[in-house]
Amino acid sequence: MVQFNLALREINCKVVYFGPGLSGKTTNLEVVHRKAPEEAKGTLSSIATESDRTLFFDFMPLNLGTVAGMKVKFQLYTVPGQVYYNSTRKLVLRGADGVIFVADSNPTKMEENLESLRNLEECLREQGRSLSEIPHVIQFNKRDVPGAMTSDEMRAALATDGAPCFEACANVGTGVVETFKGLSMLVLQKVKAMSEERLKSGTKTPTPENSGARAKPVETPLPGTRSEPLAAPRPLAIQRNAISMPETAAPAVAHKPTTTSVPIPIVPARAPAAAATAVPPAPAPTVATTTPPRPAPPPETRRAPPAVEPRATAQEPKRAPSPVPPQPVAVVRHTEARVISSGRKSRSMHPAVVWLAAAVVGAATAVGVMLALK
Amino acid sequence: MDDSTRLRESRMVFYRDDVARIDASLNELIQLSGARAALLVDREGHLVSRVGDLRSVDAETVAALVAGSFAATREMARVLGEEQFSVVFHQGKRDSIQLTLAGDRTILTVLFDDSTTAGMIRIYTNEAAKKLGGIFRDIESRTDDQRPAVTIGADFDVNAKDRLDSLFPG
Repeated sequence: MVQFNLALREINCKVVYFGPGLSGKTTNLEVVHRKAPEEAKGTLSSIATESDRTLFFDFMPLNLGTVAGMKVKFQLYTVPGQVYYNSTRKLVLRGADGVIFVADSNPTKMEENLESLRNLEECLREQGRSLSEIPHVIQFNKRDVPGAMTSDEMRAALATDGAPCFEACANVGTGVVETFKGLSMLVLQKVKAMSEERLKSGTKTPTPENSGARAKPVETPLPGTRSEPLAAPRPLAIQRNAISMPETAAPAVAHKPTTTSVPIPIVPARAPAAAATAVPPAPAPTVATTTPPRPAPPPETRRAPPAVEPRATAQEPKRAPSPVPPQPVAVVRHTEARVISSGRKSRSMHPAVVWLAAAVVGAATAVGVMLALK
Repeated sequence: MDDSTRLRESRMVFYRDDVARIDASLNELIQLSGARAALLVDREGHLVSRVGDLRSVDAETVAALVAGSFAATREMARVLGEEQFSVVFHQGKRDSIQLTLAGDRTILTVLFDDSTTAGMIRIYTNEAAKKLGGIFRDIESRTDDQRPAVTIGADFDVNAKDRLDSLFPG
């Protein structure tokens, strides 16, 4: 599943190398990793057996860089090819945005190639998808084996749907990058097609004024990736080189009163100073449209984190018994201190101090009245 | 599955407000629990967001491994007849990691060391996972007119091809 992260201005795509065991999937990934510039690639991780057979998957992130204002990132995976690992293959394949099928050119391996291709379609079908809707290419690997099948023979057997095919010898690094580039372009074309969905259905490029428009656009089917030539972008009703990214969704049920996050005072376990400022306030404009303004709840009613929350709040009446009622001024000051310091409770006036002060003032007043009467 | 549903399920869009709400929850979590860092990873292994001290960590690789680990755990639960194992915990000598399902599509990953306890992490992670689940329900419940289109420049694919050629010349 393509992920558009508009806060980070990122597009993330998942590419999976699929194919029979020992066809060269991991070798493909190693070559891409070796040839990619240092600044663009992450660590190549492998979950493999002791004999270096892929047990779960190999993985490497590849940062394509900024394209039309968005950072484009690929996550490249391989699946374990052995028949035994069918369940883990399905897990890795989940959410793939593009598939590179690595076939072995050895004639004795053709049955395994076909079985693996059937397995790919079956795995996708179980996930409610089909190979025809996912950008995919086929690589004829190991072109250097003696008696290798011809490309035409392999194409006739494996690319019956017209998928683009590439020849390769991954062990010496030839054809690997071409395969990856071919698949990448198909994936990115589909990403672009997804972004154009609204435009094709007649919706204007969103602006702050129209992004929350009531008119419901009609979603149309995605175009097939194979039927579109690589270098033939459709004309768009938007400015070239311009990127129009709505960074906020239209306000509505997204901020229901029941789920709106209210700023909560934080009692930090580590950094008291940072805690008070770390949680940004809830999206005020959207809240204001759906709920009447209300003060933030006092900290005590929200939560009392263990071992940090002072217990004096609940005990304060018992700890400061006095026949003289507390003076209103003292109570007001106490309240103000609590409100102002919401989220920074360590600075609030301790309740026991307030009660003690009230008692002293009351006692002094009583003594003064008695002296005056005398 | 109709085309509209198929399209919606083939992509996930996080708007800036969404990520701000998610980050607020993650920040609150690490400060209350004393965790070192928190990552939100989707089921496909994409990193949604991260907060905290991750200077020495390759977050993208961690995200991929977390998704793999969680997927394997889920499959294990299925084989054993369990609905799911919603929490996975890996304990190390000094650093540990807890994975918790947040909503249907994301995994809340908390990295912590011996300056806090697994109990504290569990308490606050459960709370954060509920909160994040609510955020994701909000995101998924948006109607089409509340989902502004993500529009990419017309020459996106041409630029992409140039970038690919510059990464892999020849």
